[in-house]
Amino acid sequence: MNSGAFYLSVGMAVFLIGLHGLLVLQDNLRRVIAVNLMGAGVFLVLVALATRTDPVDPVLQALAVTGLVVAISATAFALRLVSARIRHQQHKTKPDDGRLSSHKDKPR
Amino acid sequence: MQLSWSSLLPVFILLSSMIPGLLIFAVREEQVSLRTTLNLTGVVLKLFFVGLMLYGVSRGQDFRFALPFLPNAPLVLHGDALSLQFVTLSSVLWLATTIYAIGYLGKAQLRSRFFAYFSLCISATVGLALAGNLITFLLFYELLTLATFPLVVHRGTPESLRAGRIYLAYTIGGGTMLMLGVALLHSLANTQEFIAGGYLSDMAEAHDVGLRVAFVLMILGLGVKAALIPLHSWLPQAMVAPAPVSALLHAVAVVKAGAFGIIRVVYDVYGVETSTNLSLTQPLLWLAAATILYGSVRALQQQDLKKRLAYSTVSQVSYITLGVALVGPLAAIGGIVHLMHQGLMKITLFFCAGNFSATLGVHKIQEMDGLGNRMPMTMAAFTIGALGMIGVPPIAGFISKWYLGAGALQSDAMWALLVIMVSSLLNAAYFLPLVYRGWFCASPQQGWPAEQSWPGQRFETHWMLLLPPLFTALLSILAGIFAGSFFSPLGWSQFIVAREFSL
Amino acid sequence: MNYALVSVALPMITVVLLFLVAAPVYSRLQTLVTGGLVIIITVISLSTSWLALLEAAAQSTTSYLAIGGWEDGLAIRFRLTPVVALMLTFTALIHLLLALYGTFSRHGVPKDYWSLSCFLHGSLAALWLSADLFNLYVTLELLSLSAVALVALAGPGAWKPAADYLLLSLAASLCYLFGVALIYGRYGLLDIAMLTVVVNDDLITRLALLLMTAGLMLKAALWPLHLWLPAAHASAPTAVSALLSALVVKAPLFILWVLWSQVAPPVMAQQIGPVFALIGILALVFGGFSAMRTPYLKVLVAYSTVAQLGYALMALGLLLAWQQPEMNSALWLFVIAHGLAKTSLFLAAGQMQTTLGTKRISGLRGATQTTPIAMFAFAVAGGSLIGLPPSGGFLAKWVLLEPLLSQPQNWPWVLGILLGTLVSAAYIFRLVVMAFDRARINPPDISSDHVGQWLALVPAVLVWGMALAGEQLIQLLGEGI
Repeated sequence: MNSGAFYLSVGMAVFLIGLHGLLVLQDNLRRVIAVNLMGAGVFLVLVALATRTDPVDPVLQALAVTGLVVAISATAFALRLVSARIRHQQHKTKPDDGRLSSHKDKPR
Repeated sequence: MQLSWSSLLPVFILLSSMIPGLLIFAVREEQVSLRTTLNLTGVVLKLFFVGLMLYGVSRGQDFRFALPFLPNAPLVLHGDALSLQFVTLSSVLWLATTIYAIGYLGKAQLRSRFFAYFSLCISATVGLALAGNLITFLLFYELLTLATFPLVVHRGTPESLRAGRIYLAYTIGGGTMLMLGVALLHSLANTQEFIAGGYLSDMAEAHDVGLRVAFVLMILGLGVKAALIPLHSWLPQAMVAPAPVSALLHAVAVVKAGAFGIIRVVYDVYGVETSTNLSLTQPLLWLAAATILYGSVRALQQQDLKKRLAYSTVSQVSYITLGVALVGPLAAIGGIVHLMHQGLMKITLFFCAGNFSATLGVHKIQEMDGLGNRMPMTMAAFTIGALGMIGVPPIAGFISKWYLGAGALQSDAMWALLVIMVSSLLNAAYFLPLVYRGWFCASPQQGWPAEQSWPGQRFETHWMLLLPPLFTALLSILAGIFAGSFFSPLGWSQFIVAREFSL
Repeated sequence: MNYALVSVALPMITVVLLFLVAAPVYSRLQTLVTGGLVIIITVISLSTSWLALLEAAAQSTTSYLAIGGWEDGLAIRFRLTPVVALMLTFTALIHLLLALYGTFSRHGVPKDYWSLSCFLHGSLAALWLSADLFNLYVTLELLSLSAVALVALAGPGAWKPAADYLLLSLAASLCYLFGVALIYGRYGLLDIAMLTVVVNDDLITRLALLLMTAGLMLKAALWPLHLWLPAAHASAPTAVSALLSALVVKAPLFILWVLWSQVAPPVMAQQIGPVFALIGILALVFGGFSAMRTPYLKVLVAYSTVAQLGYALMALGLLLAWQQPEMNSALWLFVIAHGLAKTSLFLAAGQMQTTLGTKRISGLRGATQTTPIAMFAFAVAGGSLIGLPPSGGFLAKWVLLEPLLSQPQNWPWVLGILLGTLVSAAYIFRLVVMAFDRARINPPDISSDHVGQWLALVPAVLVWGMALAGEQLIQLLGEGI
């Protein structure tokens, strides 16, 4: 098959792998990566479709670039959210040295 | 929508209780005089406006108010003879019940909320009485459910809440059925205004399935409030509400709304001819007869006074349905006039029951011995109500039963006459013992269960509790004695039926 | 069209303004100033969209604006129809109500709410106006990002539901984008009006539409892809929950409607119509049952959203199955009535939760005495959800019922509506009855916030007041497109 069709199918496969990862994985950071994979798959499909015409279709290129921008912003936000949550959970499980009193010290 | 006197008067009648009701929500508990003033202003205004409308109608004026709402289904308020009869009954009895409620609640909590919902309930009742088409009727029917629910659960006890849930389950379900019936009818024939003889005669053959289904749906919906079996179970449960609520709602507003709706549907939407042609009246007749007998039998079994009265209501309201379903002018007169008469007599009975429980803590039948000695005037009113229910002349109940019986004969339904007679016997069986106990038995030696007296009390009980039952008992007698005149409920019903049957 | 543009641009400008000028809002004065600014902007936005609505209703044709003056096929176009204008007005109205609540109620909104909500307003308005598939994608993404950010404002407890929502939302958007790519690959067009003419029923189109539908259903929390919604609602701030249920989930519904009623060929639309309608009934039933069983107040309201969206999906499905443009009114009346009622429900729920110090329904015992106005607002708004006359919900249900009842073969669908009504009544009244309990009242923790409770009542009154404009609304919306 020609290169366009090849990259098209690769794109679809990557999309499906990402989707599978999102549904199956538990860890949030890995799920972010899975979503990024889905995005990568879609952009690859867009670009592969662009190569079907000669010269290369500018509209699809524009769509891919716009999609990339949106994906970057969304990933940045997702990472901020996920990392904040991870830090918050670590903070909760760490022993708190700054506590004013523990229940052992309470007066009877 | 032109703003003339003839189009605004129905709205004023509606607003005369709605606006005070909404204002009373904001009144604080301690501001007794403000609240009473608002209440009584509303009552007086309403009676004034109703009087104006009666005067106008007697002079040949037509009162109609329309507001666009849905495509081909505007909201219409129209004062015709049947609606005026119901409006007058509701307004007069609202006056009596307001005074009774003020006395009954005394210094109880949440009076503002109570009276606010009370006023809204009456607004919904006159709204559906004045409704000029099915969609307006549906609107006020549902608003009635919403306005009466807080009154049923007023006490806030677990039993009240349970009764409230049952009440809602039945009435919301019934309301949905009614809505489906109205919507179905609208899709077939558009929502035309109520007119004597109905507006469905042209399409009876073409859409007979649709019309039959719509009728069944609407009767199901109306039958919940009209306490037709097996949709009646909410009514005895709702007796946990305070006595004024039971008196007004379950003797006048809610139950009558259902019966009124059935009258409207059979006479002014379908018309007697179409109803008979579609064979809709026979099943309705059987249902009514079954309810009459079932209600009476269950009433015999009750030991709680209010529950006995509740089952008696179930039975008595079906007289109205029986009269409608018998499809004859005499039966129609009997059914329509019984709407008024039963309202007067039943409210008397509930007022008296409320007096017994509030003054002496008497709730059960066995506790009623010797009431006649302790509370003679209340017991006298109770006797009048009970005898009227049985059908003893010259109290109003006799007139309605007479016409119903004659109507049964006119429609060649001997078995219906038999049902009426058996039911009267059963009425005697469950009312006469109460009367006997009250007058001819000695008071209990250990005293009354929970005697209460009010400061400055001069009569057997608080004057606000005593006056209303005496008033309504007097009206019951007058309605019977003066039945021959045009201004009586009977004369009025004859007028309505003459137009319906084109006599 | 100019009015509509002003309506979109103003909130976006305000976002920039708020970032540049205002400090984070801590004190009461800062709340009043920022909130006041947002209120003014939203009022202007509401007025301009109202004027756009009047204009669109008078002309009753679609007007287009090509951005940058480029020619058709290349340009990004904005499209103004009566439905779009109505949605613009509706968005501005909800934002105004919430801005008033945030400024004047003691409960208030989180400090970063203002800029994010203006951003949400702007992106949603741009979504309504969009006329091509990719623009819809971009505005949908903007909408989702701002919605997630708003949910996360509640603090650490909300970060997990927010993260879940974000990831699922991104995945759903990518499914949608994949579908768009396939459509473009097949037809070389993105503009909706131009696609309507050329679309055929073939495998690629089916695949694309199904992908897009799946993504949109997840974003709109349509059963069975709704599981993120109750969790997000339970943790989100009150005003944000209102935004989420009233507005954010309606945007994917709008795109779904555009897709199937305008882009898809009628043959395909007629096939998927009954499927949508059936899913709608299942949403009504299962959402309703979940609402009846949950012990938490906000989760009940969230499941109520899932159930009510079932009505909308039923209307959409039947509209597609029978290709009757009159049923557009049913769909959009539901959207508006539900949006207003849900705003009221969430504001009232938030008030009751804060004042009574409980998140549970059992904590609302006696609420008719402790928080009477909020409870009244809850009951009135609930009445519209059940569909009691003469509320907006009743209006929508009536318009949906008419074509169903007129032909006996359609009567089975009526059972779905009947079930929906009864189930809604069950969960609303479950709460209302408990509120009348006088024997075991849950005493309030803090004094009542009267302003906030009255503000919660305003949307409920509005949704019942919709009845006054019933006939005009039905006519306006029934023209289709």
